[in-house]
Amino acid sequence: MIAPEQILSKVKQLPMLSTAVVRVAELARDERSSAADFEKVIRPDPALTANLLRIVNSAYFGLRKRAESVRQAVTLLGVRRTSEVAAAAALAPIIPGRLPGYQVEASAFWLHSVAVAVLSERLSGELGVKRPDLTFTAGLLHDVGKLAIGAFVEEASAEILARVREGGLTLVSAEREVLGVDHTEVGATVSEAWRLPQAVVDVARWHHAPGEAPARADRMLVDLVHVADALSHSLGMGTDIGEMARTVEVGTETRLGIRARRLERVAGESLDEIRDLARQLTPASGGNR
Amino acid sequence: MSALTVDISDIKLSAEPDDMIVTYALGSCIAVLVHDPVRVAGGMIHYMLPLSETSPEKAKTKPAMFADTGIPLLFQSMYKLGCRKQDLVVKVAGGGALYDDKGLFSIGKRNYTILRKMFWKSSVIIKAEDVGGAKSRTARLYVGTGRCTISSQGAETEL
Repeated sequence: MIAPEQILSKVKQLPMLSTAVVRVAELARDERSSAADFEKVIRPDPALTANLLRIVNSAYFGLRKRAESVRQAVTLLGVRRTSEVAAAAALAPIIPGRLPGYQVEASAFWLHSVAVAVLSERLSGELGVKRPDLTFTAGLLHDVGKLAIGAFVEEASAEILARVREGGLTLVSAEREVLGVDHTEVGATVSEAWRLPQAVVDVARWHHAPGEAPARADRMLVDLVHVADALSHSLGMGTDIGEMARTVEVGTETRLGIRARRLERVAGESLDEIRDLARQLTPASGGNR
Repeated sequence: MSALTVDISDIKLSAEPDDMIVTYALGSCIAVLVHDPVRVAGGMIHYMLPLSETSPEKAKTKPAMFADTGIPLLFQSMYKLGCRKQDLVVKVAGGGALYDDKGLFSIGKRNYTILRKMFWKSSVIIKAEDVGGAKSRTARLYVGTGRCTISSQGAETEL
C-alpha cells in the first residue's frame, strides 16, 4: 500500500503544465477574450507556441488555411478550440520517454491520449449529441495519473499483473488492491494540482467508473471518454500492461444508447486523424507503440 | 534482415528470404499471416474492422482496414508475387476482447466470424491460430522459413 503522502510527493515532482494553459482556459471561459489576449499569454512560451501551431495545422482540425501565428489560430479555430489545443501542446513535452510500470513508450502513451481525445469527440458526433465542453482536453488528459504512479506500479508490477492475468481483475482494480490507490484517483490529484478545469478533473477521476461520478460531473463527458478509452485499447492504440483487462459499464451503454456498428464506424473514420495528430508531437513515432 | 512493420489497416508483402514481417499490439484487430514455402514469400494484413459497409469511403482508400476488402487484397497480392493458392499456409492471430464483451465491444469476435465465413466460402484452411482473450499480441512471420511467432504478456510462442 502507498501512503497518500508518497503520492503527493510524486505529484509535486511532476513537471507543471505550462501556466499559460491555465490562463488560456480562463480566457476561453470569458466571452470578451480576443485573439490578441491569447497571443499575449501563449507567445512568451516558444515551445508551447510551436507545438500549438503544429497541432492546429494537423488534418483533424481541418483549417481552411495554415495558421502561422497564435492570433491566426484563434481567428480560424475559435477561442475554445484553441484553448483545447493549448492543453495538448502543453502536455506533449511533459510525457517522459518511457512510463515506468505501465511498460509503455512516450509515443504510445501519446497515441493513446490523442486517440481518446479524438474518439470521444467523434463519438459525440456519431451519437448526435451536443459535444460537451472540454471533450478534447478531458479525453487527452484522462490518464495523467499514470504519469505520477508509474514508479509505484513498477515496484509492484508482479503482484498487479498476477491479479490481472491470473485473477481476472481489471488493471484499475488490481492497482487499487495492491497499491491502495489507482491511476484515476491520482489523476484527479494531478489535474487539481495543475489547476485544470473541474470537468477535466472529473474525467480523470471517473473514466473507469462513470456510474459513480457525483451529480456535479458532466456524465455525458465521462461516459464518452469511458467508451473512447476502451475502444482505443481494444484497437491496440497505445497498449500498456493493462491491455484489454477492462470493462465497459452497462450504465454507460444504456445512457449513450450506442451500438457496435456505430462504434466501428467511429473507429474507422478516426484512424487517420489520430495517427496524424499523434505524429505532429512525437517526431520519432515511427514504430508508434 | 529487414523487419517490415504492418500498421493497423495495412498489408505488407515480401519475397526476400531474410525479411521478417511484424505487427504490434493486436487487440480486437486480426492479423492474417500467409506464407508460400514454394515461392518463398510471405504476406500479412492487420485489419481493424469486419465489414467495409460501415465506412464505404474509407474502404476505397484503405481496403486493408476491413476483413471483407482487406483479406481478398492480401491473397491477390500474394498471387501477383507468383504464389499459388494451394501452396499458401495461412495462420491467424488477434481478435481479442475486453472482459465483459456483451456486444458493444464484440469487434474481435465479429472480426473473427467474418474471417471464418470468408475462408469457408473460398476453401482456405487455417493452419494455426491464436485468437480471443483479453490480451494484446505481437505477430511475426519469417519469410525464409515460414516460422510464425506470437509474443504476448512477456512470452513468445510458435504459431
